[in-house]
Amino acid sequence: MIKTTPSVCPYCGTGCGIGLRSDGDKVIGVEPISSHPISKGRLCSKGWSAAFATGHENRVTSPMIREGEGFRKASWDEALTLIHEKFSYHRDHHGPETVGMISCARATNEDNYAIQKFARTVLKTNNIDHCARICHSPSVAGLQQTLGSGAMTNSIADVGKADVIVVFGCDPTESHSIIGSDIMKAKEAGALLMVVDPRRTRLAEIADVHLQLRLGTNVALLNGLVNIILERGWEDKAFVAERVDDLDVMRKAIAEYTPERVEEITGVPVDQQIQFARLYSHARAAFLAYGMGVTQYVSGTNNVMSISNLALICGHVGKQGAGINPLRGQNNVQGACDMGCLPCQYPGYQQANDPAVRDKFAKAWGTTVGQIPGMTSLGMNEAMLDDAFHALMIFGEDPVLTDPDQNQVTKALKKLDCLVVVEMVMTETAQLADVVLPAACFAEKNGTFASCERRVQRVRKAVNPPGECKSDWQTIAMMAEKFGAKGFGWANSEEVFNEIVSVTPIYSHMSYPRLDESRGLQWPCNTHHPDGSPVLHERSFPIGKARLIPVHNLPTAEQPDVEYPYYLTTIRLHFHYGCGSMTRKSPLLERESPKGLLFMNPRDANNQKLFNHAPVGVRSRRGYIETRVVVTDQVPPGLLSIPYHFFDTPSNQLTNDAQDPVTRMPELKACAVRVEPLARDAEPKSIHTLRALHEAELAE
Amino acid sequence: MNVYELDRIEHLRDWLALSHQVYQAVENDLGNCNWQPIEHGEVVKFKPNVRPLVSPKSLFFSEQENMFVFDGEKFRETLPEHGPRVIFGVSACDLTAISYQDKHFRKDPYYQARRQQTLLVGIDCTKPCDGGFCRSVDAGPHVKDEIADLILTPMPSIGGENTGWWLICSSDAGRAAVSGMDLRRADSSWSSWREMNRRHTEAEFKSDVHIINGIQRINARAVPDELWERLAHQCISCSGCSQLCPTCSCYATRDVAEDTNMVRQRVWDSCLMVGFQKEASGANPAAEAGRRMYRYWYHKFSEDYVAQMGRYGCVGCGRCESTCPGSVGVHSIMEKISNA
Repeated sequence: MIKTTPSVCPYCGTGCGIGLRSDGDKVIGVEPISSHPISKGRLCSKGWSAAFATGHENRVTSPMIREGEGFRKASWDEALTLIHEKFSYHRDHHGPETVGMISCARATNEDNYAIQKFARTVLKTNNIDHCARICHSPSVAGLQQTLGSGAMTNSIADVGKADVIVVFGCDPTESHSIIGSDIMKAKEAGALLMVVDPRRTRLAEIADVHLQLRLGTNVALLNGLVNIILERGWEDKAFVAERVDDLDVMRKAIAEYTPERVEEITGVPVDQQIQFARLYSHARAAFLAYGMGVTQYVSGTNNVMSISNLALICGHVGKQGAGINPLRGQNNVQGACDMGCLPCQYPGYQQANDPAVRDKFAKAWGTTVGQIPGMTSLGMNEAMLDDAFHALMIFGEDPVLTDPDQNQVTKALKKLDCLVVVEMVMTETAQLADVVLPAACFAEKNGTFASCERRVQRVRKAVNPPGECKSDWQTIAMMAEKFGAKGFGWANSEEVFNEIVSVTPIYSHMSYPRLDESRGLQWPCNTHHPDGSPVLHERSFPIGKARLIPVHNLPTAEQPDVEYPYYLTTIRLHFHYGCGSMTRKSPLLERESPKGLLFMNPRDANNQKLFNHAPVGVRSRRGYIETRVVVTDQVPPGLLSIPYHFFDTPSNQLTNDAQDPVTRMPELKACAVRVEPLARDAEPKSIHTLRALHEAELAE
Repeated sequence: MNVYELDRIEHLRDWLALSHQVYQAVENDLGNCNWQPIEHGEVVKFKPNVRPLVSPKSLFFSEQENMFVFDGEKFRETLPEHGPRVIFGVSACDLTAISYQDKHFRKDPYYQARRQQTLLVGIDCTKPCDGGFCRSVDAGPHVKDEIADLILTPMPSIGGENTGWWLICSSDAGRAAVSGMDLRRADSSWSSWREMNRRHTEAEFKSDVHIINGIQRINARAVPDELWERLAHQCISCSGCSQLCPTCSCYATRDVAEDTNMVRQRVWDSCLMVGFQKEASGANPAAEAGRRMYRYWYHKFSEDYVAQMGRYGCVGCGRCESTCPGSVGVHSIMEKISNA
């Protein structure tokens, strides 16, 4: 018997409505939801293929314990006993700073809440982090300083209310297709579209203005634009006078960014800068969306603050159709942040370094909590390499594939005394684990996701999980019992959510019935905003007046030179998501993967005598992979781009882990590489073959 | 033809549910409408004039199904097995699509295994639906006799209140399904009332000039390649139009290991994806997005297919328009072509 269960798409942060069509315990297909407030009956290729992601092929269905090179099946009790033994040993003998957890931006709020509660109350550590570290940690850090809140200020529907739309360092038709769709529709309805991107993306092709700046020169461009606006008096004077501090500091600090100098640094012609500045500052409401092209730099936090400066002086914050809008990459990366899966923040962005906050939670949870400041995920990696970190539990993430400088990550994880991975399938990371626990997928559990517009929505169970797979909060509850901890005895996901609501002020007026009724609520949802908040900062900012914080342009950590003459940047493809562990199970999406993965300008290809799909090796100071080139004018000469979804051709062999000093965001968007043509008829080797060859060479 | 009077549609559904698994479009609390099973005795109100976003296509041509199993020695066909079913309250556009698929899949054992077990209960639409243009492509708003087993058409309403239904038995299977049910014979006025109703409904359709114009241009090959290429720039290959189109029938196959067996599966495909026609060498006759888009609409509106299939591939349901993220669904595309 076939039935349809309404839920939320498990892919990007847009939060589209999706109906799961199931026959018994198999999800056979999906359908869009016409009445959904965001997706309105649309889905992207990933959403349409979501049924395959839930497939039972390759699923881990029981706990597994390492035995030599392989794994053997184990009972939950045996696996949990082993975990208890290892983690409590290291916590008690080496201190809580030597153990930690990585939560999952794809899991529900309920799962994430349970994970950080376990880290803080049972392991007594603040070593809890997740992949927001490598997507929008600079947004959280930067916007918290300038506005007092790190999330998208407006709603997706505001795209349709704007007269100017700016797409800055992101490619929404590929990575957030339904937002991309709204942008295309708004453009057709007459809105002006301006794209800032080193690549000629699909939206750049149809845009009114495309500023094709050089890689890693965001701050220079933004300072230049602010300078033009202030010089000509195009700023929103009333808004700035009433709601913004430090204009004079700003004016002085950026005076040196003359249009001519900015052209020199960024390559954007003076008249294009002036045109952009005029259109943006004169707009009635300008919606600015940005993505990884802003955050994944050593100057990530500075980039975010510069964007905030531009929007603030033009008064494009705190009103409909405008805003500073970071597009979040994962279905629930917003929620994982909301739930406090960050070393420095408790649920609802309550600061972990504030003793009053720690006391509040200790009281609410009826036990002591971790006191020592926590480490970020990359910080934990470094501690592992220094032999100062011994046991790690990772939920549904694949850092071996998605973190920068793959060889270092693997080396770090191998140093652990105990690595626990809670996963659906045997990812590259899971293969390094000592214990693997089976996880239920989104279609197999109840809970909530928070989308990038801060909308908390209900996720519903359509089918039973296979084998012994469990929701993460259930796994945590069983583990807590083994550790003898109290406060994890929830009967269902709704009980977890009610506990979240009781300690998270921005969620305080939410409940499952209210979420159902309203098709999701946008936080803050509290006494002041019982029906949620589509637009933030309408009357004031959480820090009172917003701050303009001048920053200066810094070059990328690595730049092309004689030895490594190209810039390499990482991208996403419409058909794939994250490490590919879900999308690559779909035969159609897998078929859509290009034969070559290295995008190269025709001029560069010509210079190197490369043809379309020519086999090449790509080398950086850190690693080497083989693939094929795709010759395209999407990238300018001197710039190569590579998608990061493919475990056999991992871009993170090449990327640089130089980090933003504030958030430790690695510079995934820029590194220097060279391209080594292979014989015309050579077949590019996968990383696994290359590794085996390398090891054989060493053995000789 | 046997025609009866029916006070409440739910009586018929309940009668059929005694001996069939009944699927009906049900609107849930969230305002979405899907085909859901309804048991005998279940109290679910029937809503006329609803057209779910998803057609009943998948109830015959499943989005994912096994074709055969190979156990290392033998191949074993895996046909779908289930008892008799009723799809209840299907509108003319979807019934037209089913009869189109019946032709296309006439020799397909998987499709036929489901189709042979299914009784179709159609319903006449009394007003155009959002985006629907069935009238322009001869697929509605009224159900043709040969494409349903039973047809429901409303009696004239008094003061806006529905006064009952006429039940038309348009096939032997339909007649057999209601035999034994306590029904009054209709008097002969039903057909003129139905005809009047049809004319009223047809008069309410919005202008379809862009559709007619677009069909002419596609058949005259009057749309330049450059225009297709430009329009295709807005197609992100989401596959939504193919998924929702009630006449799209392309599928891909794959082999999946299950225990010690290999299972051949077929899954819905979309010709708008670049991999659809990609050859093993990497060569691709439809590598340009514009070519793929042209092919899609040619399939839906070309006279070449009328010769083969007896009608256009498009049944005018307008679902592609409502699901297209790139504003290149049927209305948008036909408007853009006719204004070119």
